[in-house]
This record gives sequence, C-alpha cells and structure tokens, in this order.
Amino acid sequence: MNLLLSDDYLLQDYPEHITNTIRSGHSTCVRFNRKGDYLASGRVDGTVVIWDLETMGVARKLRGHSKNISSLSWSRCGRYLLSACQGWRAILWDLKDGKRYREVRFRAPVYGAELHPWNHHLFTVALFEEQPLLVDVTEPAAVRYVLPSVPKRLNVETDAALKEKHAKEDARHMTTAIVWTATGDHILAGTNKGRLNIIDARTREIIYFEKICGGIVTTLRLTEFGKELLVNAQDRIIRTFHIPNLSAPDLDFDTIQIPLEHKFQDVVNRLSWNHVAFSATGEYVAASTYNNHELYIWERGHGSLVRMLEGPKEEQGVIEWHPHKALLAACGLETGRINIWSVTSPQKWSALAPDFDEVEENVEYIEKEDEFDIHPQEEIQKRRLDQEDEDIDVLAVGGSEDENDEFRMPILFNLGDSDSEEEFVNVSLGTLRRKSPGDQDDGEEAAAEERGGSKKPLGGGGRGRGKKK
Amino acid sequence: MSDVGAAGAAGDIPGRAVGPPSKRRRVADDGNDTDPSTSRYASRERRDSPAAEVDERHSHDLSIRRGPKPSLSPRPGSDIRGKNKPDNTHYRGSNSQTSSPPSRSRSHSSQRQRLYSRSNSRSRSRRGSRTPGSDGSRSRSRSRSRAPFDSRSQSQTRSRTSSSRRHRDRTSRSPTTHTQKRKPDYQPHLRLTGHGAAVSQVRISPDGRWLASASADGTAKIWDAETGEHMDTLVGHMAGVSCLAWAPDGDSLATGGDDKAIRLWDRVTASPAHAVGEGAGRGEDSGYGTMRRRVNGGILRPGTGAGSGKGARGTRNGRGPLLGHHNYVYCLAFSPKGNILASGSYDEAVFLWDVRAGRLMRSLPAHSDPVSGIGFSRDGTLVASCSTDGLIRIWDTSTGQCLRTLVHEDNPAVTNVCFSPNGRFVLAFNLDNSIRMWDYVSGSVKKTYQGHKNSGFSIGGSFGVLGDARNGDENPTAARNRGDAFVASASEDGDIVMWDVKSKEIVQRIPRAHKGVCFWVDVNGDIMASAGQDRIINVFKNQPASKRKAFTGINEADTNGFGGQGEDSVTPYEGAADDELQRQVEAGVATPPVKQEHIKEEQL
Repeated sequence: MNLLLSDDYLLQDYPEHITNTIRSGHSTCVRFNRKGDYLASGRVDGTVVIWDLETMGVARKLRGHSKNISSLSWSRCGRYLLSACQGWRAILWDLKDGKRYREVRFRAPVYGAELHPWNHHLFTVALFEEQPLLVDVTEPAAVRYVLPSVPKRLNVETDAALKEKHAKEDARHMTTAIVWTATGDHILAGTNKGRLNIIDARTREIIYFEKICGGIVTTLRLTEFGKELLVNAQDRIIRTFHIPNLSAPDLDFDTIQIPLEHKFQDVVNRLSWNHVAFSATGEYVAASTYNNHELYIWERGHGSLVRMLEGPKEEQGVIEWHPHKALLAACGLETGRINIWSVTSPQKWSALAPDFDEVEENVEYIEKEDEFDIHPQEEIQKRRLDQEDEDIDVLAVGGSEDENDEFRMPILFNLGDSDSEEEFVNVSLGTLRRKSPGDQDDGEEAAAEERGGSKKPLGGGGRGRGKKK
Repeated sequence: MSDVGAAGAAGDIPGRAVGPPSKRRRVADDGNDTDPSTSRYASRERRDSPAAEVDERHSHDLSIRRGPKPSLSPRPGSDIRGKNKPDNTHYRGSNSQTSSPPSRSRSHSSQRQRLYSRSNSRSRSRRGSRTPGSDGSRSRSRSRSRAPFDSRSQSQTRSRTSSSRRHRDRTSRSPTTHTQKRKPDYQPHLRLTGHGAAVSQVRISPDGRWLASASADGTAKIWDAETGEHMDTLVGHMAGVSCLAWAPDGDSLATGGDDKAIRLWDRVTASPAHAVGEGAGRGEDSGYGTMRRRVNGGILRPGTGAGSGKGARGTRNGRGPLLGHHNYVYCLAFSPKGNILASGSYDEAVFLWDVRAGRLMRSLPAHSDPVSGIGFSRDGTLVASCSTDGLIRIWDTSTGQCLRTLVHEDNPAVTNVCFSPNGRFVLAFNLDNSIRMWDYVSGSVKKTYQGHKNSGFSIGGSFGVLGDARNGDENPTAARNRGDAFVASASEDGDIVMWDVKSKEIVQRIPRAHKGVCFWVDVNGDIMASAGQDRIINVFKNQPASKRKAFTGINEADTNGFGGQGEDSVTPYEGAADDELQRQVEAGVATPPVKQEHIKEEQL
C-alpha cells in the first residue's frame, strides 16, 4: 500500500549498503519465507531463530537440534519450517505453536533439505555420503524413498565384472545439492561429479542428466518461477541455466536441454564462492566469496558485474536475497552475525509540507485568475461539499485475495524467558558482557544501530560503510 | 514526582477522559467540583442567550483535546454529572467516588496550561491570520477551533433546538427515499456500567466477542460483547487511561494512559502480557514494580471476587509497561500482524514499538501538537497519524519516513484518524464538526460528513459494513465481503451518527445515547459499542432489515432520551447488567478511598 505513495521504484533494485546487523548466537544459515516478512536463521548450537524483518526482532526460537543447522526451508504458507542439522536429523516445525510437527532421523549428516513447494508433508534431503531421500511425513512415521544419484543402466550387462565396475562407479556418485522445481513435479539434484540430475518425483527415476560443471556441485537454486537455475560448484565458476518446462504434458525426455546462460567467475583472483543467490526477479546473481569480505552482484542480462558490496571485515557464508525487495542477508562466518544490505530511500521533504514541491530548478509561478479572489466562507464551503460527488469505494481491495487464510505468526511475549546464556553483546572493544535474558533484543538492536552509525571501530571490524539514513 | 502530578491530570482530560478525578491528583480542596457543574448547567439552560453561548464555547474549547479540564471553568462533564446525580441511582456509587476528587482538577490545569502555552506560541506564529483566543491562558487550542466556531455559532444555537428535530425527520424519512439501500438499524442491546469515571474509548475485539473500555478512572475493563458480562478489570495505570487497542488475534490488548505508560495485557489472565524489563535496567524496573504493587495491593478490583488475586499476578516480576513517551499517551494502534504497536502522545511524537520485545523501534517526530489519533492500513505498511496541529501524516512503517501530509485549507484540528477498510482512504475527525474522508494518494478530500457535533473533544468513530456478519473496520476480511459501508461517529451531544459513505447522508442517528459527550463509537459487524462521559458503555445490535421498524426519535431529545429508553425498553440483558452493575458499583465504592490514600502517600 505504501507503494502508492513512494518513489521506491526509482531506486535501484540491488542493495547498496549495509543497513542492519542482527545477531542471536552464531548463525550459520538463513532463509526468508515466501512473503519476505520473516527470516529464519539456524545457529551453530542447533537453535533456529525466526526474525521479524519489520521489527528486526526475534519472533520465535525453536530448540530441538543439537548440532549446527545446515539448511532451512519454509512451506509456502509460512507456517511450517523444515530445518536440517549436521546431527543427522531434520525437524519440521509448526510455527503456530513452535512445536516439532515432524521429526526425521537419518543415517548421516544432512547437506540440505528442501520442502516440496506446495506440499509441506513432502521433502527431499541430500545426505553426506548417502543417497538422497524423498521423505513423506504425512503420517507421523516418516516414509523414506531413496532417490538415485545415477541413472539406471539400460542395457543389462551380462558380464559380472563389468556390472561390478559399474556398480562401484555408481556408488561413488553422491548427491550434494537438491531442489524441487517450481511445480514440485521434479527434483533437480547436483552430484559430487558435477552432474545435474532431473528426477521425476513420482517415479523417482532420473529422467535426464548432464555434466554441467567440473567440480562438486555445492548449491543449486531456482528463481521463483523455476525458469532459471543457479549452480555453484567447486570449480570456482557460478553458472546459470535455463530450465525448460518439465511439467509440460508433451515433454520428451530425450529432447530436454539445459542451456547454459552465463558463467560468472573472477578470472584474476580465481576466487571461489561460498554461496550464491538469485535476486527476487532473477535479474541479479549475488555470491559471497571464499576468504574474502565482499559480496559480488552480477546482472544477468549481460552477465556483467554490477557491484561489490563491502560490509564488515568478515567472510560471509550463506547469503539470501529477499523474495521481493532489494535486500540481501548474509551470515558472517566468524561472528555469526546476520548482516543485511539494502537500499534506503531519502526522505522526500515535500511530503512533510504539502504546500511545497521539490523542483529541480526554478519554476516561474503563474498565478491563477481567481487565486486570490475572496469568497464568503459559506460559499467556499458549499462549493467544496458540492464537489464531493465522486463515487468512492472504501471496501474493495484490489489484487490478491489469498491473504485471508494466510498463516499469522503468533506474537510471543516470553522470548526473554527462554533465552539461553550463550548470547553476548559487544559493548566496547575487548569487553564482553553477558546479556541478561531480558534485553536480548535490545542488544541485537544495539548491534544493528552501531553498524548504522559509522563510528564503530570494534568487534567484527565493521566499517559501517553505509549511513543508515 | 512531577510525572505523577502530570498524570493526575488524567482524569481531567476532557476528551476522552473527563471525569472523575483520578486517584492521583493532589488533593487541594474538595468542594470545587460542584460549583462548576452547576454553573455549567446553568449556562446550558440559558443557552440561547448570547452570554451563555460564549460560556459554552469556552468550556468546549477548554475541553478540546481533552485538555485540562478546566477546573476554572465549568466543563460539560461536570455539569452533567451534577445534573444527573440526584435522579440516577446507578450513579450513586460512582458519584460518591467522584465527588471527592474534585481537587485534582485544579492542580492539574496549571500543568496543562503550561503545556499549551508552549505549543501555543508556535501554532500562532504559524498561522498568522488566526486570531488568538481572547483569553490568552486558554491557549491555542482555542484559537484554532475558534474560527470555525465563530462562523458557526449562530447555526449552532439553532441546531440545538431545531436541527436535532430536523435530523430526526431526515432519518425517519430516508427509508422511503432510499429503500434499495441497506441501512444500519442499530438498537440498544446492552448497557454496561462499572467505570468510575468517563469512558474514553471502547473497542470491540477483532473477533467481535469482547469489548474493552478505557476510562479516566485509571482502569480498563473487558466485557463480553454478547452478554455484557464483566470479564476483567485491568488495573495498573497510574492515571486515566485514554486509549486502548486490541491485538489482531484478540488475545491481548494495549492500553495507554496519562501516566505516560503503555501496558500490554493478556485478555485471558488480565495480567500484564509483557516480558519487558525483565532484566533490563533492574533498578528502574523495580521502581515501577513497587508502584504498581502498591496500587494493586490497595485496590480490590471491583466486581470480581478473585480480583485482588488476579491483580496481584500483575505484579509478577518483570512485567513492565512500555515506557518512553514524555507525556500522556493518547492513541494506540496495532499493526495488522500484531507485531508493531504505534502510539501517539502529547509529547508530539509517534512511537513504533516492537510488541514482542517491548522495545521502542522507531520514534517519529510527527507533529507540532499532541498526536491525537493513529491508525494502521490493512497491510500494515502505512501508519496515519493526526494531531491538533491540523495535519494528517502518512508514514511508511518500514522506513519511518513521512510519505504524505494532508492538510485542509481551514486547518481544523484533527482528533482522530483511521484508514478505510481497504486502506485507500483516511477518515479524519475534525474539530469543526466535520469528518473528512481523504484520498491520501491524491491528497484531496473526497467526502465530508456533517451533522454531528464535534468542536471540543477528541471523539472517535469507525467504519462499519452492512451485509457481512462479523467484521468491522479494522478487520481486513471485512473488506472482502462487499456490503454497504457507513461511517459511525460519536457526537458531543451524546448522539451516535451514521452516514452512508457515498451519499454522505445520515442513515441512522441514535439520539442521546449518552448523557453528556459520547466519546467513542466502534463498529464491528452487527455490533456497535459506544462510550461516554456518563461512564456508561452502550452496546447496540443491528436489526436485520426484516424485523426493522421505522425509526423514530425518542421522546424528548434534550432530556436523557436514550437513558429513558434504556431503562424502559427491556432489553433482555438489561436487568442482569444492571444488577451486576450495581454489585460492582457497590463493591467499588469501598475501594476508591483506599486507592487514593495510597496514591497520596506515594506522592508525598
């Protein structure tokens, strides 16, 4: 609704400078929900923290994991959150009451787990040194289906030796990254051999595979509509691909093509990339760099680098682009803070004084014929009232009607109570004060504030590059 | 101490909180109260004489922005109280309570004056053309409203006598002219008494099941909207409560008072909902804690046996109020998600609070006068605030920037503001007897609703929608159900007036719903609640069109028409409510003195 009044569309659509730093424990991974009003962050100690981006405060804390959280995934409605940890476990949380809705144990640490885009009872996991799984949690007892990492051999070999060899070869293929397509009909999986597999979710068979890069695929991401695929691999190259509509009824597996669109890399420094993300529309690609503090943003139209974001002097790990704003969140690897880059629009001064207009240069004012005529008060009043003949509608809401049954996060007042003691806040150089449970959020905000002002010389070494306002 | 003193003013604040003296006022002398009231009363009778007219105007002006209640000049509230006292048994309990307090108004007003004079000079300079009020001390509030007043004073006298009749005619006639239109027909359903002072606001919970009322007696009460049962009394404010807001889930509510504090309450337990301050600044916190404890300890909550026990729960460690405003908190609004609370205050700022953490998120230097009204748009991205400086400002919630300022050419003080159900328009209540609907995008007035009386108090109203069962203005789902929208507003003559949004016609008028000023009307679907200076909350229910009978004015407009009807017309719950009332009142009678003692102690 504020869009009616703001000129924000004039602003650039990628973030400019760091605007907030929020912190609760040591975060290792973050994820925005689909609407973009909440950010989930997973901490080293296994706690999942839900941030309210409007208040930049903690909305919920979920405790259940004991190890580093490796991935997070929101359901479409925003009510369920799937978290997976290195402690061989994934939990589907119901954010309504903050309880574990489902809990699934695996036989290995989890690389990543992603919920089906439409059905929150279905998710896929990529496991360390194990074949990936499709997990159905409709019933409290989860049903696991093993997904292949290599296609079935068509020609059944009679030669036992060859068979064995193949089997061995196949066993070395591991799926390291896994995502659903936008429709949820297919699963895209990247392997440690640089292959991209397309798996039909119903038959659970690989319908297409292609070697797309030279190293282990570390990240796969799709744009919201699933037309573009972003691949990060250990060969230090970020690639984008076009994905055909895999759900088309006349799809012929043999003609599927996954055309490469761009390769982003730093040829000079040979940087490798920690994590990558598409912008809201897929127009931009952002990446955090290994052993380096900057975030890189490329524009996809021409494949050119448009911006290197500087922030705190800290290597950034997982990065996430807000689902519809020019806002990036990234986790600092050392401090575990969540840094947020975005754009800030300047206050329009004319908005404060309706009689004033902001003009670029002087304008000759031409007075209207009747401008200073004096009319009796009653007449003016009457004329005014007569002019109010417009038909207005105070009820009709334009646009989407789906918000009604949307999940509303409960507002908790007792977050302070449940706080644990591993939270610290820097008060000045070299001193650490244990936060008292109650002021946790103040502390976090304080951190954010500091970052905004440019005076801050300390912990994390933030240069406070962007002024907050 | 000083703040406590200021808080004392609470009771006096005319606008919503006129009333009885709050507990906290410093006791000066007791006999005062009655005098103004009688004189006031007298002026009313003589209304048609010019001199009386002037008096009246003064008193209105004074009361503007609920300002200090003019101990000096009679205020409307007091006269009414005086008048009714003898004949209304309901009031007996509360009256006794109130009569003692009179003293406070005096100390109070001085304070208020200070406040005013400051803003006074400012406002005057701004608008040079305006002539300041003749009485300098009375300040700008007066001067502002003055202009419209003068021009209108003539018509006003007329309206008192004839116009009310005219209105009645109109309403009764209109059914024939606009039969195709659904019209509201709200009929008295319940009458809730129990507050010891004027009720400044009443709001219906988003699900329509509960009512919450804020009163100058320093408490808020929760009622069952269907049965009128008194659910709980929220005790904790150190001064009159001027505003309250329901969280969108209806499980908690916020109240703001003249003690500069905002309190969040759990509806179910009636205890403070907040974990704020639990560690934060322990010293501070304990200070507030003890204050609160004393108050709670000293007060038995009227009407509920378990009252003291529940009240005591409120003292649980660390449930503190939201502190930060430098002056009376005057208006509150929750964001649609319930995560942000916006508050407006006499300190001229708008604060946005993170509800969960109880943390001040943003402070907007909003106005140059007390912020008198605030509201969120349905998607929560915009906040509208208004002030007696005549401005309405639209803010971006996420950035805290002002996106638009709306000013009417006449610059009348704005005392309340709310967004239309679809968020495209802003309804502003002006002190020139008008309610204006602004299109905030184009910055123009689309509709002006007139026919009620509003020149001195911050009165409130809301949008209502006919044709859907449950939802009122603040509930976005209402917007989805197409129906006929109307605007309902309180009026200073005690009426409740409803206009069709499009045609600007009055579609229903409930005459004399309250004795004295009716401060607040809230509509949620078929339920309408109103609150007034007479300490009463009225609940109305919309009658389905089939059962509707032609609406005719009630007996004698000027003498408590509605009151008479309320007593005569036997609404099913009336008796029960009265009984309960009576009990409450009786229970309450004993306690107030105790309360006051305590406060006095504290102050010393």
